[in-house]
Formats: sequence, structure tokens, C-alpha cells
Amino acid sequence: MDEWKPNPAVKAHKKRSWYLAWKYKLMNQRALRKLCQTGAVLFLLVTVIVNIKLILDTRRAAYEEEEESAQDYDDEMLHVEVPRHPVSNKKVLDVEVYSSRSKVYVAVDGTTVLEDEAREQGRGIHVIVLNQATGHVMAKRVFDTYSPHEDEAMVLFLNMVARGRILIFTIKDEGSFHLKDTAKNVLKSLGSQVAPFLSWRDMWTFAGKKGGEVYGEKHAKSPALSTWGDPVLLKTEVHLTSVEDAECHWPDTELNRRRKRFCSKVEGYGSVCSCKDPTPIEFNPDPLKDNKVFDVPVAVIAGNRPNYLYRMLRSLLSAQGVNPQMITVFIDGYYEEPMDVVELFGLSGIQHTPISIKNARVSQHYKASLTATFNLFPDAKFAVVLEEDLDISVDFFSFLSQSIHLLEEDESLYCISAWNDQGYEHTAEDPSLLYRVETMPGLGWVLRKSLYKDELEPKWPTPEKLWDWDMWMRMPEQRRGRECIIPDISRSYHFGIVGLNMNGYFHEAYFKKHKFNTVPNVQLKNVESLRKDAYETEIHRLLGEAEVLDHSKNPCEDSFVPDTEGKVYVMFIRMEQEADFTTWTQLAKCLHIWDLDVRGNHKGLWRLFRKKNHFLVVGVPASPYSSKKPSSVTPIYMEPPAKEEGAAAVPAVAAAEQT
Amino acid sequence: MQKINKNVVLALLSLTSLVFLLFQLYYYKFYLSQKNGSFFSKVRGSQSGQDSTRWHVVRKFLGLISSHNIPVYLIDPLILGLVDKDIEQIRSSPDGPSPECKYFCAPRDFTTFALVDKTWKQEVSLFRAAEKMGFQWLKIINKDPRLDGMDDLSGIEIPLHYIFKLASHAIHLVVFYERSGNYLWHGPLRLRQHMDRKFVPFRKLQFGRYPGAYEKPELALVSIDDLKVQIPKNPSSFLEEMSHSRFLECRYREARAFFQLYPDDASLDAVEFRKKAKSLLHLAALTLNSLGVKFWLSSGTCLGWYRQCSVIPYSKDVDLGVFIKDYKADIIPAFRKAGLPLKHKFGKVEDSLELSFQGDNDVKLDIFFFYEEDDHIWNGGTQAKSGKKYKYLFPKFTLCWTEFIGLKVHVPCETLQYIEANYGPDWKVPLKTWDWKSSPSNVQYNGVWPVNEWDDVIQIY
Repeated sequence: MDEWKPNPAVKAHKKRSWYLAWKYKLMNQRALRKLCQTGAVLFLLVTVIVNIKLILDTRRAAYEEEEESAQDYDDEMLHVEVPRHPVSNKKVLDVEVYSSRSKVYVAVDGTTVLEDEAREQGRGIHVIVLNQATGHVMAKRVFDTYSPHEDEAMVLFLNMVARGRILIFTIKDEGSFHLKDTAKNVLKSLGSQVAPFLSWRDMWTFAGKKGGEVYGEKHAKSPALSTWGDPVLLKTEVHLTSVEDAECHWPDTELNRRRKRFCSKVEGYGSVCSCKDPTPIEFNPDPLKDNKVFDVPVAVIAGNRPNYLYRMLRSLLSAQGVNPQMITVFIDGYYEEPMDVVELFGLSGIQHTPISIKNARVSQHYKASLTATFNLFPDAKFAVVLEEDLDISVDFFSFLSQSIHLLEEDESLYCISAWNDQGYEHTAEDPSLLYRVETMPGLGWVLRKSLYKDELEPKWPTPEKLWDWDMWMRMPEQRRGRECIIPDISRSYHFGIVGLNMNGYFHEAYFKKHKFNTVPNVQLKNVESLRKDAYETEIHRLLGEAEVLDHSKNPCEDSFVPDTEGKVYVMFIRMEQEADFTTWTQLAKCLHIWDLDVRGNHKGLWRLFRKKNHFLVVGVPASPYSSKKPSSVTPIYMEPPAKEEGAAAVPAVAAAEQT
Repeated sequence: MQKINKNVVLALLSLTSLVFLLFQLYYYKFYLSQKNGSFFSKVRGSQSGQDSTRWHVVRKFLGLISSHNIPVYLIDPLILGLVDKDIEQIRSSPDGPSPECKYFCAPRDFTTFALVDKTWKQEVSLFRAAEKMGFQWLKIINKDPRLDGMDDLSGIEIPLHYIFKLASHAIHLVVFYERSGNYLWHGPLRLRQHMDRKFVPFRKLQFGRYPGAYEKPELALVSIDDLKVQIPKNPSSFLEEMSHSRFLECRYREARAFFQLYPDDASLDAVEFRKKAKSLLHLAALTLNSLGVKFWLSSGTCLGWYRQCSVIPYSKDVDLGVFIKDYKADIIPAFRKAGLPLKHKFGKVEDSLELSFQGDNDVKLDIFFFYEEDDHIWNGGTQAKSGKKYKYLFPKFTLCWTEFIGLKVHVPCETLQYIEANYGPDWKVPLKTWDWKSSPSNVQYNGVWPVNEWDDVIQIY
């Protein structure tokens, strides 16, 4: 019994002394006493255990709560920052450059930064620009110097690259046929010894620093006209410089910080990255008085043409009355460089995972962009829709500000567009003049939210339909007889020559000679007369005042229109029913205006300028204005040319839209 | 004698142990209940009176934001509560110096302000200036919910909360965004992995546990504690709004998965029906809101929201729920005025009330009235030709805000329970045939209306 150690708790200790006192006095009641004793001890033990457990539980509960509440505020997603390029602290880069007939590649430190083995593609000189401090790829270009003029573009590009950058060249297939001396000299000045002697189907690789050392060059001569030089592989090392050396020392401002970030990543944007006297990236154009479109969101639809986007945003941000906060650039695909351009200008950009292919991809991108725009600006009644290959006129917003109330009030309007399909250098004259047309020109236009939300969005073509969004919008089911307002002289200029439906030839023929307004603050004339009924009155007035041209002459001849200025003339062409555009198409063709489909008509009437005279064309008898035709005049009929030419050429480009 | 003593002592000992034990248990229980209760009860409000640190920090912050032309307004519920009591006095003396620091001196860890996103341009210079003044700041960003409903868009994360900390006091700046449906939304506050969890006592922040939806407030410039600050013009209604501002985002990801399984009906009929249903719902919301009748999306409309974030194209009508306590006799005339004549009325205010209005072109608006019992909520149904009554039982629920086809509307916060009660566990599978008398899994037969009441409880127009 004596060895029995009670629980060390204080109460128990006390108890123990009591027991010891009684122990000898109550020997006769030993059994009972023992029972009580054990009972008490057990009870105490239980108490202590329960207490300990309680303490533990409370602590755990408190701890859990802490955890739990922290979880409330924890993001469920793990955001791991993925570096955009493998960055190493190494001072030396291993560079491999391969040139052959069917394949080229460039690897930097084992990472392939260029690989092209596609057939029938990528012919010419591939150029890669690396940052001399980080080794990041800043630009990737291919110049098809087998074809004419591409060498000029290459020279232009190489001149834009900042001194000190690392340049890597490699030829795929053929790169010398149209490589002229100017270009060869530029390559020579970069340190190439082979460039001046590059000839037909030679293989060539070269790596060097602009304005500095040469890292290596390899060359394989083509033995005969019909064969290619052997593949060459250049392996070399490039020593990196310090970051400070690779950067310009602009004053430390918010703008320059953006500029610095941009210029350390990409090349080929000219003076924006020039150390001395860089071109501004903030424009602060004059604000517009009473700007009705200041709060209208602007959606810029873009793909992967960052140089275009750069040019477009510059012109947009220079337009009077622009509100950069309302601009969102929607990029179709996860391309970095367009996003870099957007960030350079301090705008917001959204990337969109491409859905579907070709035209449907563009159309899905449009839908996503428009929906997102109205979600982001729920108050907006309109949105301005622009594309990345447009120059924006200085008075673009002024033009919209003066006309947007029409779109709000006149139910018979479908859109306001900055583009006149028929507004060429020789057919547009008056910057203050507006038209109503039955076609939807696009290329810088205003969309009404109710039209989009109630009509277009719910039945927008699904991805599997390979439709052009703009063709679809022009269909009678969508347009439902409504018209667009356009200016005589376009407020946008389509400069893109690379695109889904675009090529150099097409651009030259249909877009290059388009007239573009450069006059600021144009006061629009008679905006109210653009309303549905007022416009009819206006047309009747015009037709009443118009002089009927001599219909015995050939309308294609310049002499068809007298050598006057500021007069109004009218001619009548044959147009059997509403959809008969035979004569119009021929006339458009010989006037060198848009003839691939019918544009710019209003109830069988076209309005344009010839020799600075307003020139009206009325389709008889389909047009309601036919009544203005004097009975003595026979409408002109022009026959379409023989089939074989037209049939082959037109479908190829008819779908060609201004993408 | 000694023997008695010993027994008494033993008994006493046992008793104290027992009492001790009971006390412990009681404490444990108390602790648990407190844990489940409100967090705010745990805010240690030391009664030491004035704390000028807070006032100074707020003053500095207001100086900072006014120098950057950023229009913030005060939404701190504790201060607004105090302000509300003295609102007349504060309004009447906008410039008078206040005798004592009443509002901004109660010692608290933070003060909450709001900012409407579109009223400022996110400028880095603000944060530079803040740092120069000694503020530490934290920005909490997350996905932009306005783009969440759209497939495949990325690139935009928006700031939802800013916290500016100076000395021991922090300013919680909640960023509100305008959303479709003409309301303001603020996001939840979620910390990312690398963030400093101890920056401020996040648990105590009143805004951020849940996202919230608010009407655009009217603001008033007042001077309190000698600080000029914008506050909601009517603090009490703001506080009332705040108490049930919780917002549920539509489950866009699940909706997308649903459409993967059951491709959406893109036919012209479906497009047309959705358009009609949308305009009917907008009209109904306008009418009920102008009467001040609180309603929520019910039945098929609620299922459409929860399952696919859109109107179910074959559902043929729009269903709304209203608590019977919110019933107003004006409802029928108001709808008639809005161009929606009564189609039928079943039941009576005391029992199983249901109203149907005829919208344009065959789309019907059903308003079911819900009756609250102790442990459940129910609404009634009536079969016109037989006078049979049905009862649909739901577990109790509260109301949350959500955005649905361009409207800010209520839905039950416990949406899943609500939907499962109504449609059973297979609610994810679209059913085109639906019988309101037998299909719902929560339907109960509820007797027959007495024939003499039929004229009253079964009205068909």
C-alpha cells in the first residue's frame, strides 16, 4: 500500500495525506476503506483524463478553426507562374543553326526556337533576333528573297533592329534569287563574308551581333543549277552581356517602364525602342467638345499580326476624342507579341482560345469579342468594332459623335460604318457628306447593343458553319431591310496585305487607292437628312436638281462626265429587278471601284463622285427613282464579258473579305 | 466520528470533481457554439476609448485618394451604423467642426471603403504615392466574372480588393464592378499561395467572405470627425442591403459540361422562345420590383439557371417564387397594366396560392406563393378540373442574388437542395416530358378543395 503513488495533481496529493492519517486508525474497516479509496482514485483519474482530453480538444478545435477560416480566404487554384522562356543565369549560349533544302532550325541552349520543315512553305531567309543579355527571342521573320521586293523588307527590318542584338540567319530552299546588292551589303556590314557571293540554291547560316562580333558562319555551295547545296549546321557560342548594357537609359517614368518592358522583349518596331529620342507611346490628342462616344466601348479584333496591331493602335490612340479606358483588344490565340503591343500602350487585352478553323474561327472570335465587350461595359448602348489592320482617321470619333444619335433613334438603321466601299481616290470627294446604304461595309463600325443581344448573338453562326461573320450579317435574314450610314470619304483605311482572305494583289486592286480622311474636326453636313424619310426627300431633291448625262456616250469613258466641278449628274442603267446588277457590275469594273459584289446601293441608286461632280446612278426600272428618268432616255445596258474569265476569277476572290 | 468524517470528505471530493467536470463540459459546449456563430462577436473591442491612429490613417488615405481623383465612399458597416443614428445632425451641419472624435476613433483593425471600378483608371502612380506616405499595400486579384460565362477567354484578372496598411490600422478598399443587370458587384477575397496571410486579420473583414451584389448607391458628401467623406445617402438602407447581399455566380463550368453532354438546342424555335422568356422575365422583374415584392427563380427557370445558365428552351413558361408574406393585392392589377393579363388563379392567400399570367405569344408566367412552416417551406398546386390539391415541400432556404440573362435576381442560396427537392437526384438529366402532378419528387397529395369554394380558388380566364 505504501508504494502506491497517487496522482500528482494537487487535490490528490491532499487526499493522500488524509488517507495516511486514517490508515492505522481504521484497520478494522479495511475492506470498506479500500473500496472507497480505489473508487475515489479512479474517479479522480477519470476527471484528470477528461480534463486533459478537453484541453487537447479545445486546442485542436481552435487550431482547426484557424485553418478553416484561412481556407475561406484561400484561392482554390494553384497559380504557378510559368516563365515565358527558359531563363538561365548562364553567361554563354550554345547556338545551333541548320540550313537545308527542306528544313531549317535554330536551337538556343538546346531549346528549339525555330523549326520549319513544312513543304512548300517558309522558303527564303529566316532571321531570328535574340536579346544579347537574356537570350530571349525578340523577333522571328522569314523573307522569301526568292521573290521580288522581299529583300527590301529584310533590309528595312534589319535596319530597325537595335545595335548589339544577336542576329541569326538561315536559308531554307532558296534565298538568293532576288537578293539584291543593297541587301547583300547590309549582310556584309553585319560581318558576313559569304553574303556577297550567295548564289542559287546555296545553303547558308550566319550568327552575329549587330554592330559587333561574328559568332560563326557556314556555307555550302550548290554544285549545279538543278541541285541544292549540302545541308549545313553551324554550332557556336554566344557570350551574353549584362542587362544594363542591353537596355536604353530612358528617364524613369511610368511610360518608359512600359517601353522598357516592351523593348527588352521584341524587336522590329523601329523608333519606339530607340535609345535616343524614342517615338512617343502616349499621344494625348485634343479632346472632342461634346463627345457623344466617349463612353462607347471600342473592341479591337486582332489576330497574330503584332506589327499591324502596333500601327493600328497608334492611329487609334491619336484620333481626337479617343478614350483609352474604353478600348479592349481581343486577340485570337495565345500569342505573346500582340499582347506585348497592347501592354506597351497601356491598354487592356484579352486572349481568346481559337475555336474552329478559317472563316469560322474569325467569326467565333468576333462573337466572343462582342459578347465580352457588352459584358465588360454593361451600360453601353453601342460598341465600336475595329480590326487590327485599319488606320483610324483623326476625326473618326468626331464623325461618330455627330452621327451616333441616328443609330439610337432611327430603327431603320443597321449600323454606322467608317468605310465607304466605293470611296476611292477618284470617286470620293466630300468629307462632310454621309450616305445611307443597304450593305454593311464593316471595317470600323458601330453596333447597337440591342441588335447584337436580341438578334445577332442568339443565332450567330455556330463553329461548324464555315461562314464569314460579315457575309452572314449582310444576309437579308439578319439585315432585314435596314441600312447603314457611311461617309463619302472613309474614316478608316485598310492597310493589311496579309490576312485570311487577303494578298498583295488583291490589296493593290481594291484597297490601296481607297480615300482616307486626314482632315480633323470635319463638321458633317445635314446629319438629320440621313433619317429614313428625310433621306428620301433629300434624294428626290438631288435628282430634281441633277443634270441627265448624255446616254449615247460610253459611261466608262472619262468624257462621259463633263469637265465641271460641283455639279450633280445622273445616269440611268438597266436593272430589271431588285437583284439584277449586271450592268452595275460592269460599270463598277470599268470605273475601277468595288465590283466583286454589290456595295453602296440604296434602293437601286448609287452615289459617288466623278471629276469632283456628284454622280448618281439609277437602276431602271427596279429603282423607285426610275420615275425621274426622262422618257427620251434609254437606260444603259452593259454586257458581262465572256464567261470563262469571269467565272474563274470571281469565285476565288468573291469570298475575299476585308479580313 | 472519524469514519463519518472520512465519508463526508470523500463525498465532498467527488462532488467537487463532478462540478469541475460539468463546468468543463459546459465550457466545451459554449466554445463549440461560439465557433459556429458569427465571427464578428469575436472582435475584441477594447473599451479603451479613443484611438487617434485610426483617424490619422483614414485622413492620410483620404488625402491620398483625393489627390489622385479617386472617388471612394465609406461602406464600413460599424461606422455607417453609428452615422445612421446621427444622420439628421450630420446632414444638417456638413461643415461644422465636430466636438469629439466619434466615428473614426473607435479602435478597430481596419476601415472599409468602396470604389466603383469604372470611375478610376488603375494607375500605378497611386501605389507609388501610397508607398511614399508609408502605406504598405496588398492587391487581391482574380478572374473577371463578367467574362467567366464565356468559353475560352483569358487574359483578364481584375483587382477585387486593395488593402492599405499604415501602422496598426488598415484600409480595406473593395472594388465594385458594374455588371449586366444594372447592379454593382464585388468579389470574394481569396488569398493566393504566396500571399502574406498575416498582413491584416483577414477573417475580420466584412466584405470578402462572399461576393456581393448591390444597387448603385446614391452618395452624399458629409463631414464626420472633421473628415470629408462620401457615404451612401441612406446608410440604413445600405446596411440592410448589405445584410443579404450574398451573390452566387452561375456555375458556368458545369453548364459547359452539361452542354457537352446535351448539346444546346440552336433551332429557331429555341432562339425565339428564349427571347420571349427573357423579355417576359425582364417585364415580371420590373413589375414585381416596382411593387417591392421579393421574388426568386423557381422550378424550371431555377433549374435552367443552375444547370445550364440559360433558359431551358422547352420549358414553355417562366416560374417565380414569392413568400406569401410578401403577397400584395396589387400584383394582379400591376401585371395587367404591364400587359400581362391574369390567366388563372388557384388557391387563396391562406392556402396554396398560385397565379398565372399570360405573356406574349404563349409564354406563361407562373408565380408560386411559398408558405413557411417550422421545418420546411411549401407551395401548393391545384388541378382545375378535379379540384385536387397538391403540396410541394422544400427544405428551408435563404435568398441570394445572382445574374441571369441580364438581370439581377434572387435564387435560393441552397440551390442544390432546392433543385433536388423538386427534381430529385437526377436533375442533371434533361426531361422533356414533365407532369407537374406526378413528376416532382417533392409532391404530396393534399386533399380536394371543397366544392363550394371552387369559384374562388379555381379561377380561369
